[in-house]
Amino acid sequence: MRPTSFGRDTGLQARMLLTMFLLGLVYVVFIGFFVAAGAGAATMLVVFGMFAVLQFFLADKIGLRAMGAHEVAPEEAPELHAMIDRLCIQADIPKPKVAIANTRMPNAFAMGRSQKHATVCVTTGIMEILSPAELEGVIAHEITHIVNRDVAIMTFASFFASIAAMIAQNGFLFGGFGGGDDDDNPSFLVIMLVSIVVYAVSFMLMQALSRYREFAADRGAALITGRPSALASALNRISSGMDRIPQQDLRAAGEMQAFFIFPARAKGSVAGLFATHPPMEKRIERLMALEGQLQGAR
Amino acid sequence: MGFLDSILGRGKAPVKASADRLFAMSTAGITLEASQSITTRGAAALVFQPLATGDFRTVLEEVEGILRGTGEETGSTIDTHEDAHGYRWMIIRDPDLEDLVVGLNSVMGSLETSGYADRVLCAVFAFEDERGTALYFIYNAKRGTWYPFVPVAAEKRDSEREMQLRAALGTELPFEAQLERWFPLWGIPI
Repeated sequence: MRPTSFGRDTGLQARMLLTMFLLGLVYVVFIGFFVAAGAGAATMLVVFGMFAVLQFFLADKIGLRAMGAHEVAPEEAPELHAMIDRLCIQADIPKPKVAIANTRMPNAFAMGRSQKHATVCVTTGIMEILSPAELEGVIAHEITHIVNRDVAIMTFASFFASIAAMIAQNGFLFGGFGGGDDDDNPSFLVIMLVSIVVYAVSFMLMQALSRYREFAADRGAALITGRPSALASALNRISSGMDRIPQQDLRAAGEMQAFFIFPARAKGSVAGLFATHPPMEKRIERLMALEGQLQGAR
Repeated sequence: MGFLDSILGRGKAPVKASADRLFAMSTAGITLEASQSITTRGAAALVFQPLATGDFRTVLEEVEGILRGTGEETGSTIDTHEDAHGYRWMIIRDPDLEDLVVGLNSVMGSLETSGYADRVLCAVFAFEDERGTALYFIYNAKRGTWYPFVPVAAEKRDSEREMQLRAALGTELPFEAQLERWFPLWGIPI
């Protein structure tokens, strides 16, 4: 028996593992610092941690509302539902909720903390400009995000980064907490400084991780649909279409953009280190490599 | 899918062949006819995504050749249908349910040995009751499970009838336990 027509991308997986390891390392140091800093600081960590957990459970609802998206029943969008039904069979996941956002900006995203609580959302703009095969590729990309549990993994990866960010922004509320014998506890200023550093480093690592997950999702989409070229052509069409859309339409929250098929602010000049999505040319290039692998099969 | 697979974003593990689960249809068909007067419409189809590659085309041509060869003995005929979603239906027509099951199994087997098991969406068997209403049994090739599908009018399904069909067959067919995975297939051409 021959292996399946797509091999494995071990290089990508190795980079992903390394990034996760580094991220974990930063967080271990971060927690260690708080434990060493004593009771007041630890309370601060717990309170902000609870905020972060709350965010995890409410993020999908907030996100959908922010995009002005509404859930659609099969009767309202039969074609879209039929397409997603088939992709779910191929990907072997339960059917996510289907939502449509009424905006001309061509985009698609997946949200939800688990496979059972997932929503796939497309904009009316993307349904207009893409052919059915291209739209299928894009939705397969989003479905792969669900299969790979990317929302949960990225939320988990960003857990301490968001706590660090919260402390850096609101830490002064807890300024008096150090209390008691100020000689043993590091001052509040040090906690702020450490938080800022942790946030900066983990932010960069997370952006890298997000880019790797995007490549993995592109690959998964090709695997589900068997048509890498269709997704490549969709990415190309979206990227050329994005530039014509005025900037004031793009008010999507930064956190949500991690799950967009294409980041809302598409600028070639954005430093690669800080982008959540890999550059379009690289994604298309890799999809074309998959297509080549497919064509050369046997 | 394993934990590590999801951590590494590596997608699903390769699909395992489960031929006996497909073959369960031949005995289930006998029960359907005896207890429900439901008979085959003499057609079944394999639904898959055709890849635009030379190798895939060659594999398909070989499969069709084999089917036409055995068809000369059994009297089955084959034809293909492209649906609006870009999937291809390889339709086998034969009044004998057993021949349909064997035929579809050989197509599925060839796709699997050539490494294209991932491209198969499902297999569909068409039945009808004594009033001529179409009833379908869909085989989810990824999970090796079956579920009934009874479309009525445009994009409406008769879930009650589907439940009855499942109850009538009980454990004779490995049914899909999760009802939310009973995905509809509108516009079945058989």
